Amino acid sequence: MRTVQSGASLHDATVVLDDRVILRAVNLDVGPGLTLVRGPNGSGKTTLLRALAGLVPLARGDRKGSGDVLYIGHRPMLLRGLTARENLEFFVRFRGGDTRGIDGALRAWGVGEDMDRPVERLSAGERRRAALARVETEGVPLLLLDEPFADLDDAGSRRLRQTIARARDDGRSVVVATHAHPELDELAKTRLAIDDGVVDTAA
Amino acid sequence: MSVPYRIALVAGRELRAERRQPDGVVAAVTFIAVLVLLESLVVGPSIARDTDVASALFWLALAFATILATMRSFDRELEDDALEGLVALPGGRDALFGGKVLSLATVLLLVAVVGGILSIVLLDLRIALPLHLLVVVLLGVLALPPIVVVDVVLALRLRARAALVPILALPVLVPQLVAATRGTSAALSGDAVGALSWAGLLFAFAVVYTVIGLTIVPAAIE
Amino acid sequence: MTETTIPRGNALPRIRPWLGIAAAASFVVASVMALFWAPTDAVQGNVYRILYVHVPLAWLAYLAFVVVFLASVGWLWTKNPLFDAIAVSSAEIGVLFTGLFLVAGSIWAKPTWGVWWTWEPRLVTTAIMFVMYVGYLLLRGLSTDFSRRATRAAVFGIIAVIDVPIVHLSVLWANSLHQLPTVLRAGGSPALDSSMLLTLMVSLGAYTLIYAYFMTSRISLERARQERLWTT
Repeated sequence: MRTVQSGASLHDATVVLDDRVILRAVNLDVGPGLTLVRGPNGSGKTTLLRALAGLVPLARGDRKGSGDVLYIGHRPMLLRGLTARENLEFFVRFRGGDTRGIDGALRAWGVGEDMDRPVERLSAGERRRAALARVETEGVPLLLLDEPFADLDDAGSRRLRQTIARARDDGRSVVVATHAHPELDELAKTRLAIDDGVVDTAA
Repeated sequence: MSVPYRIALVAGRELRAERRQPDGVVAAVTFIAVLVLLESLVVGPSIARDTDVASALFWLALAFATILATMRSFDRELEDDALEGLVALPGGRDALFGGKVLSLATVLLLVAVVGGILSIVLLDLRIALPLHLLVVVLLGVLALPPIVVVDVVLALRLRARAALVPILALPVLVPQLVAATRGTSAALSGDAVGALSWAGLLFAFAVVYTVIGLTIVPAAIE
Repeated sequence: MTETTIPRGNALPRIRPWLGIAAAASFVVASVMALFWAPTDAVQGNVYRILYVHVPLAWLAYLAFVVVFLASVGWLWTKNPLFDAIAVSSAEIGVLFTGLFLVAGSIWAKPTWGVWWTWEPRLVTTAIMFVMYVGYLLLRGLSTDFSRRATRAAVFGIIAVIDVPIVHLSVLWANSLHQLPTVLRAGGSPALDSSMLLTLMVSLGAYTLIYAYFMTSRISLERARQERLWTT
């Protein structure tokens, strides 16, 4: 397994935002399998994921890894005015992928009937489902999911757990940041605890 | 995937969203229509018909319309963090600027056509060189968006950005506004050489600032 | 870029007092030369002596802007905070000198041309440059995060400096095509005799030393701020 290809690593990564230190000298190597990041609110979970995605400038240290990352943040990151299908088509085309799987993926995530409505008319849960369908449509080797269970009902949560398990079995690297969902522990290869910007790999 | 293809994708995404939620176009068209109306009321129809006055006001209005439409476009990107979804894609940073400039120039062309027709009808302007006028307007519409997109990106998420963007953009836009105004005035009054030389300058400005934007904007996006 | 060779801690405070003394001394010499030694102009009388303030201020306004440009490129290239310190220092000092230049220009214009302001291309360009400087500092003031502020300011600094000569040319062309009243050339008119030229050169040197002194003070202040930021 080519770890560097399907993963990302941070070396001595320090992130300062709004003149506050959010991450302190983080050393982390993310490879295939599920990595769980747990920590209280404001501990730096989101910034850690964004640093792995290469979305925040590092004040010190460096990031290694390919740019081939799927980062799904707190919010669905879908453009209003476009339908769920159009949004997903844009992402797939941008990566040079095949758009044929989009209908199926959206239907499997329960957005089948609403996939041609502009996303601003969907409920928060539906938007979240449409965003998570990207895990299947874009087929990216490194997935960074920030609180992906937010807004999901029981069926949606079940589907997300299955999706994470399948991605893990396919040899993809999955990083999930969440403050809850202990049932994911058994799927995880690594569990990280983060508090006040310090990552503890021994959790 | 090549960069031009990605730029076209970003522009297409933007135009599709704008077609379904035409906030930017509606705001910009209304703005320019109100200004043309106000102009003839405030300075009186005989002064408003002066080719210099009419052209200057048209391009100042269009510069503000560009700022309005660009800010609206980025406000939409910030809802639900759509911009982040685009920037997180490999090559997303590089395609953002080009895509926005392309789509905004398209939107602006529509605004310029509506504003131009309104000006011609309301002010009863005589156009000596219609073809030259079209060339000047087309190139002016290409020359305005690069600077405005850069400045809106720089002011992204800052408080008071509605005030900051015009302060940053308008001084930098002086050459574009001067050239567009003089070129339009020349085309209206029948000075073919003047119109074409200012049009040539507008083309140069459009190229120079687009190249600067393509080079530098990826660094400005966090 | 000589600035990069300034070591982090010690050299600046050691040079600074000497720079201050040299700046003050040369400023006194330049002022005495400008006010008493240089001959009175045959056409303009004593009013022309404002030239010895006006031309150095114009030189500094442009020098400061070019330093902002170079430091901005340096920051984007290396992400070394020293460059951001240089950029902000030069911008603040530049806005001061540009403002003084515009005021001095007005004071000169009134007795010479009878108006406080003329649409002379060089004056217009400098006024637009002043507004750009103010925009640059506003952009910095409204940004909260250090590296974002430095990056955004650097991008604007680079574009603004590239824009200045283009603004100048466009104003020049617009005026030449429109036959606006031609005005007297402000500085560097061929009538300068050798003692006038020498006075001007000494003034230029003195004001450049003042700029250097202000820069070292402002940069070390900014460096102290940055260090406090990194250690907390």
